Amino acid sequence: MRDYFHKTTSAAPLAVFRMLFGLMLFGSIVRFWSNGWIADLYITPHYFFPFYGFEFVKPLGQYTYVLFAICGLSALLIAIGLFYRVATVSLFVSFTYIELMDKSTYLNHYYFTSMVCLLLIFLPAHAYFSVDAYRHRSLLADQIPVWCIDSLKLFVALLYMFAGLAKLNSDWLLHAQPLRIWLPAHNDLPLIGFLFNYPWVPYVFSLFGCLYDLSIPMLLWNSSTRSLAYIAVVVFHGLTAMLFPIGMFPYIMIVTALIFFPASFHQTIIRQLSSWLSISYQFTRPQRLYSYQPIVANLVIGFFAIFFAFQVVFPFRHLLYPGELLWTEQGYRFSWRVMLMEKAGYAQFTVKDQSGHQTIVNNTAFLTPLQEKMMSTQPDMLLQYAHILRDYYTQEGFKNPEVYVDSYVTLNGRLGRPLVSPSVNLADKEDSFKHKEWITSFNDTISGL
Amino acid sequence: MNQFRWKQIGFACAFMAALWACGGSGTDTPTPTPTDQASSDRKAMLTNIADNIIVPSYANFKTKFDAMVVKSDAFAAKPDKTTLTDFRQAWVDAYTEWQKVELFDVGPAEQYTLRNFFNIYPTSVTGIEDYIATGSGTFDVPASYPKQGFPALDYLINGLDTTDDAIVARYTTAADAAKRIAYLKRLTTQMNSQFTTVYTAWTTGGYRDTFINCTALNAGCSTGKLVNGFVLNYERYIRSGKFGIPSGAMTNGTVAPDKVEAYYKKDLSLTLAKTAHQASIDFFNGKNVKTGQEGPSLKTYLNGIGAKDSQTGKSLVDIINAQFESSNQKLAVLKANLADEIKSNNAAMVAVYTEMQKVVRMLKVDMTSAMSITITYTDNDGD
Repeated sequence: MRDYFHKTTSAAPLAVFRMLFGLMLFGSIVRFWSNGWIADLYITPHYFFPFYGFEFVKPLGQYTYVLFAICGLSALLIAIGLFYRVATVSLFVSFTYIELMDKSTYLNHYYFTSMVCLLLIFLPAHAYFSVDAYRHRSLLADQIPVWCIDSLKLFVALLYMFAGLAKLNSDWLLHAQPLRIWLPAHNDLPLIGFLFNYPWVPYVFSLFGCLYDLSIPMLLWNSSTRSLAYIAVVVFHGLTAMLFPIGMFPYIMIVTALIFFPASFHQTIIRQLSSWLSISYQFTRPQRLYSYQPIVANLVIGFFAIFFAFQVVFPFRHLLYPGELLWTEQGYRFSWRVMLMEKAGYAQFTVKDQSGHQTIVNNTAFLTPLQEKMMSTQPDMLLQYAHILRDYYTQEGFKNPEVYVDSYVTLNGRLGRPLVSPSVNLADKEDSFKHKEWITSFNDTISGL
Repeated sequence: MNQFRWKQIGFACAFMAALWACGGSGTDTPTPTPTDQASSDRKAMLTNIADNIIVPSYANFKTKFDAMVVKSDAFAAKPDKTTLTDFRQAWVDAYTEWQKVELFDVGPAEQYTLRNFFNIYPTSVTGIEDYIATGSGTFDVPASYPKQGFPALDYLINGLDTTDDAIVARYTTAADAAKRIAYLKRLTTQMNSQFTTVYTAWTTGGYRDTFINCTALNAGCSTGKLVNGFVLNYERYIRSGKFGIPSGAMTNGTVAPDKVEAYYKKDLSLTLAKTAHQASIDFFNGKNVKTGQEGPSLKTYLNGIGAKDSQTGKSLVDIINAQFESSNQKLAVLKANLADEIKSNNAAMVAVYTEMQKVVRMLKVDMTSAMSITITYTDNDGD
């Protein structure tokens, strides 16, 4: 073990990763901005859904643009490796802040990005082929501890493993849900569309999707299977990009998987870049080792140990809750559960008080279509919204308003049912990490992890 | 080293084999309904809906509407009890036929918001009288929607007074008789021009081809828009407009009998509601307007993609049709004048609302989820 932490390797893979990741993130921010989503998601809405424990994280009005600008600039700085430490901290903070502002926009790959930013703060990705190293030659090094790269590989491997484990359930494997619903929607695609009319196709897709997630880390790690595995990565994520509206995620994963390639591959890239930029040989071949100060190394390794222990345990927290995970979503987020559910719902709230006030709530007056869609299927958001309504109608003159919801939710093709009993007054239910006993029981079984 | 690798590969193979076995055994337990390739062809569905439902429904409406305009013009030329009676009958026919096209809130009808110019009620009596008095006023702004269309005509031919003689007098001897006649003409002209725009877009404007060829399921394409318009119409204009709001079911029990459709005609409201409801059912089942035969439709498509309650295995189409039938049963016990029902038998009105609410959920949640369609219209239930 001690030997492992003294092993060194080429710094090229980490440098290439830094550049690609930074550019990718910069591109994502530009895309987000130019689509007008900053205003649509964080400025126009009247209300937001913060994460439990992070209620202080709120959009900043017009300054939200500044937040995104900082985030984009930080990503660009990381790509070129300028002011690396400051940029990684500001990227991590700004990106995570954005992610936490409203849970209706939660995506696993935002969480992934956020966590990679966190790791990058402590990794010497700027030691090689960066502006920082160019300006301060004392920093320049082409060798780094091997665990620096392995930790990124491990994190990617964990993501895939958990995504694969989550697919080991009866809905996914035995009933091909939700792909059975999603694939026929694309039966008009050229060339492959006709395939989606065959009932066995979603089963095959489900099976391969599961096998892919479970095996791809191993196949990427193993040098003899790596090239084929990477082709699989490109095909798999390319296909998901074509079929599902999942934004940048496929591209981020296609780029991230390059970290598994050997140093020689990345050195070729660096060499090519150097010749285009006319960068001297000494700069790319300094023959120096980046080493942490012993005390810093111990602290960073200790922190990484805690980080990975957390990452291994946290996705299993749903085991602490009774009830069906896909139905209650208690412990669902931050666990690499992707594409597992076709869930849709309808929630109509009634607010009333003892003195005879009563009203049916027009959700549109409070929420955006996206927020309403997310709220109607996720219990914690139903509760948050009920509290928004409670507080609003208290101001409107209701005395201790009671909030009830008439909800109707379908999960993976099961006929809709109420998610919350219509007789539960949500106004006096408090949010917490405890089990929400007011969620109706699922009434069906999904076996598996 | 070599040994280690073999072990690894062996383990991987065993693991995958186990998974295969797991997955494989699953495929034959609940036998999946074979996807019928023809039924899940959205182009075939859209073609049937365009050629055998939407366009012929519009054509039927045009016939009834044109006939009404003729009677309206005859009444305007010579207002008396005979021409009034003829006009009223033609209005009933056209208004009833309208119920069979209001649900097509897709394409040009959506673009030009056809419904706003034909059937926004309760009508605004003071607004209409203001427009008549000034002899002018735009018909194109939202505030003007309750001053036009069938509900405005309802007021003008049924609601001006209690006897036919008194109503005819408003068009003959009253001081503003000429202005009132002119307003009738303005109304029918406005309706005609709005409808013609929509209808010709389908027949000669090329929209029919656009419609059948945009087969993707995203929000911008035909199936998504068609289903959104259909569900919206059922939810907001059948469930809420015809029952939920007047019965007070959606307004904290505050009844509003004056908000029923065709309020001045009195005995037409149930017929209109039943016609609209049946049109929705027929549309769902793909009933050819000319032959009455069922063709490619939401029903065949849902069956084609094997949509069923994955818990019980019951066909979603059967579940939805059964719920349509439950609503029909509640509709069947109502009397013709819904304003009276609200005053004396409101529980029966609320019962219709309750059953229709169940249909709304199935259409809006179960059906769209099964089809991978996103509901993009926004609720305004509280309004």
